[in-house]
Amino acid sequence: MELSVDRLTKHYGRKIAVDCVSAVLKPGVYGLLGENGAGKTTLMRMLCAILESTSGEVFLDGREVTAMGADYRDLLGYLPQDFGYYPNYTAKEFLLYMAALKGIPRDIAGKRTEELLDVVGLNEAVTKKIKTFSGGMKQRVGIAQALLNHPKLLILDEPTAGLDPKERVRFRNLISDYAKDCIVMLSTHIVSDIEAIADEVLLMRKGKLVAQGSVSELTKKAEGKVWELTVSEAEASRWQEKAAVANLRHEGEKVVLRILADAKPVEEAVPCVATLEDLYLQSFNE
Amino acid sequence: MELFRLEHKKLWRKNSTKICVLLCFFYCVIFGSFMIYQWITFGSRNDYVEGRNFDGYENIRKCQAYARKYKELTDESLQQWVRDFQGLKAQLDEERKTQGAEDWETVNKRQGSGLFVINGWISTLYPELEEADMRYVDIMCGYVKPEKLTGLYERREKAVETFLDISGQTGGEKEYLFRINEKVRKPFPWKWIPGWETVLGNLLADLGMVMALFFAIVLSSLFAGEWHDNTSSIILTTKNGWRQLAAAKILTGLSFTLELFAMVAVGMILLQLVFLGTEGWNMPIQMIKMIAIAPMNMLQAEIYEYAFTLLGAVGFAGVVMLFSARCKNQVLALLLSLAVVYGPMAFKEKVPIQLEKAFDLLPLVGSGTDIFRTNTFHIFGRYIWSPYLLIWVPVMIGVLCLPPAVRGWARRMRV
Repeated sequence: MELSVDRLTKHYGRKIAVDCVSAVLKPGVYGLLGENGAGKTTLMRMLCAILESTSGEVFLDGREVTAMGADYRDLLGYLPQDFGYYPNYTAKEFLLYMAALKGIPRDIAGKRTEELLDVVGLNEAVTKKIKTFSGGMKQRVGIAQALLNHPKLLILDEPTAGLDPKERVRFRNLISDYAKDCIVMLSTHIVSDIEAIADEVLLMRKGKLVAQGSVSELTKKAEGKVWELTVSEAEASRWQEKAAVANLRHEGEKVVLRILADAKPVEEAVPCVATLEDLYLQSFNE
Repeated sequence: MELFRLEHKKLWRKNSTKICVLLCFFYCVIFGSFMIYQWITFGSRNDYVEGRNFDGYENIRKCQAYARKYKELTDESLQQWVRDFQGLKAQLDEERKTQGAEDWETVNKRQGSGLFVINGWISTLYPELEEADMRYVDIMCGYVKPEKLTGLYERREKAVETFLDISGQTGGEKEYLFRINEKVRKPFPWKWIPGWETVLGNLLADLGMVMALFFAIVLSSLFAGEWHDNTSSIILTTKNGWRQLAAAKILTGLSFTLELFAMVAVGMILLQLVFLGTEGWNMPIQMIKMIAIAPMNMLQAEIYEYAFTLLGAVGFAGVVMLFSARCKNQVLALLLSLAVVYGPMAFKEKVPIQLEKAFDLLPLVGSGTDIFRTNTFHIFGRYIWSPYLLIWVPVMIGVLCLPPAVRGWARRMRV
């Protein structure tokens, strides 16, 4: 299975939300990284064919997805960023309703619903109405509904928002298992989640795809550009003003700075191993 | 079907739906029927000033028993009724040495509460017997000479003709209405009339107007509620998508309309059977309004009025669903739906007659009581008696609203 994005563009009046994005996605987990307003959600909505592109097309195995209609939607699982639900429904009722919308027969839907409630850790809250759920629990209902139809293409817009660390680990494991023979694309601001599960990262900036590659490929780009420097507290403030500081930690009376710079900022700075977060910050500091 | 089942369940789960159904049932069945029969209209009165007693059931039995003695409406039976009335009145005057409105009420009570219907017949058919200098408390039944009440059916024909002339209904229109009138069978069977008058003239006449409010509240959220719940994105990406969901929602809307109507109608009919029974079902509606031209008996008229409300409700459901599918805001959908019914109702008496008649064709705006009237529509050179159009046009409007509702909904589907 192959999802090809060909020069996909979306304009809102004079504003360009997505600018000529092209990519080829094969089974695996794709992490979409970008600052707020980078065009991640717009791109995902166009991939789901719920938002018309200004130009460009999306193909699944050579077939244009809007022409595929219900066949495409049958292969699709989507968790939107602003996930809506019926407040008076229980999680089980909501999933059964979504299963009917996805055309899953009633008997299969019942089993699949129970299975997914177990997978997302909501089997003890099946009788509670969604309106009583915490943000994280609601998010898990959203993840479960996206998985109902065993989608071949799973698009998750900020799926880990609101999840506690334990649930994030559960989610990562779930997605890693799931992505063996299907395409999973997820966007998040939590770089460590992408680092942990994404086979490939797509970095977006101002509507453009600025980098694409595996975590190791991308972090290589930042190698030799990440430095650690131990300074006094007074100096730390000055460094924050004049350089891109990715991190700051106190060690006794001293402060250890993680500085992003193309060249060694001072003689005392020592090079360190770059992470995806360094690359992310470096990209958006430019 | 599964989607319809779940959509239907979803609608009924909403608190607003449950509250609306409960209020509608309470207003139409408990307040609008039970209380009318047992207290407000048919409870007995001790005197003219005091309120009614909570004894409608027993009172109706007494009234029905009294009316049975006249059997059918002829010159003789009408004269006999008036004679009986005047006899009772004289007896009462003798007892109390007074004359006044409370006396009429007492006699009316003793005589089975038919006074005002029968007085209406006499004033319509024998206008020359009316005495201009009588006091307001003196009604015709009290002073006309019974032996002058002759030629009832001939006078009825004349009264219909005079009414049509006064209404400006002449030529072809008059002939058309007379042809309908010719089918009215005579002589009229005579049973107790006020019960049927209340059912056909009041209870059913206002049913659609009341139910419209509840239909609008429940159904306006059917489509527009999805925007409120922010579920459009996930629904849009499902296999069945908007199109099948739209079909399920339309079916749900129609099904809810039938269910709410059935609940109310069954409740009202059961109470009617308990309080009034079936006696008098074969009386013609002319017993309620002497110059009505429809060849219908009470049962047929009741079926017509229920059918009118049901088809109007289905038509109105179609209109509400159109607004709900086209507006993202359910409050706006609700306001537009209410405006479609109550707007024309409020303004129809202030607009030209042709526009008023056109307003009547909107779902639940017109009235099932048009079977008592002689209104016609002149379409393509043909006259059509208004009840024929009033029953079919609203439902057709509703049906015509459904394709644009589905299209409007499906347009949001990009795939």
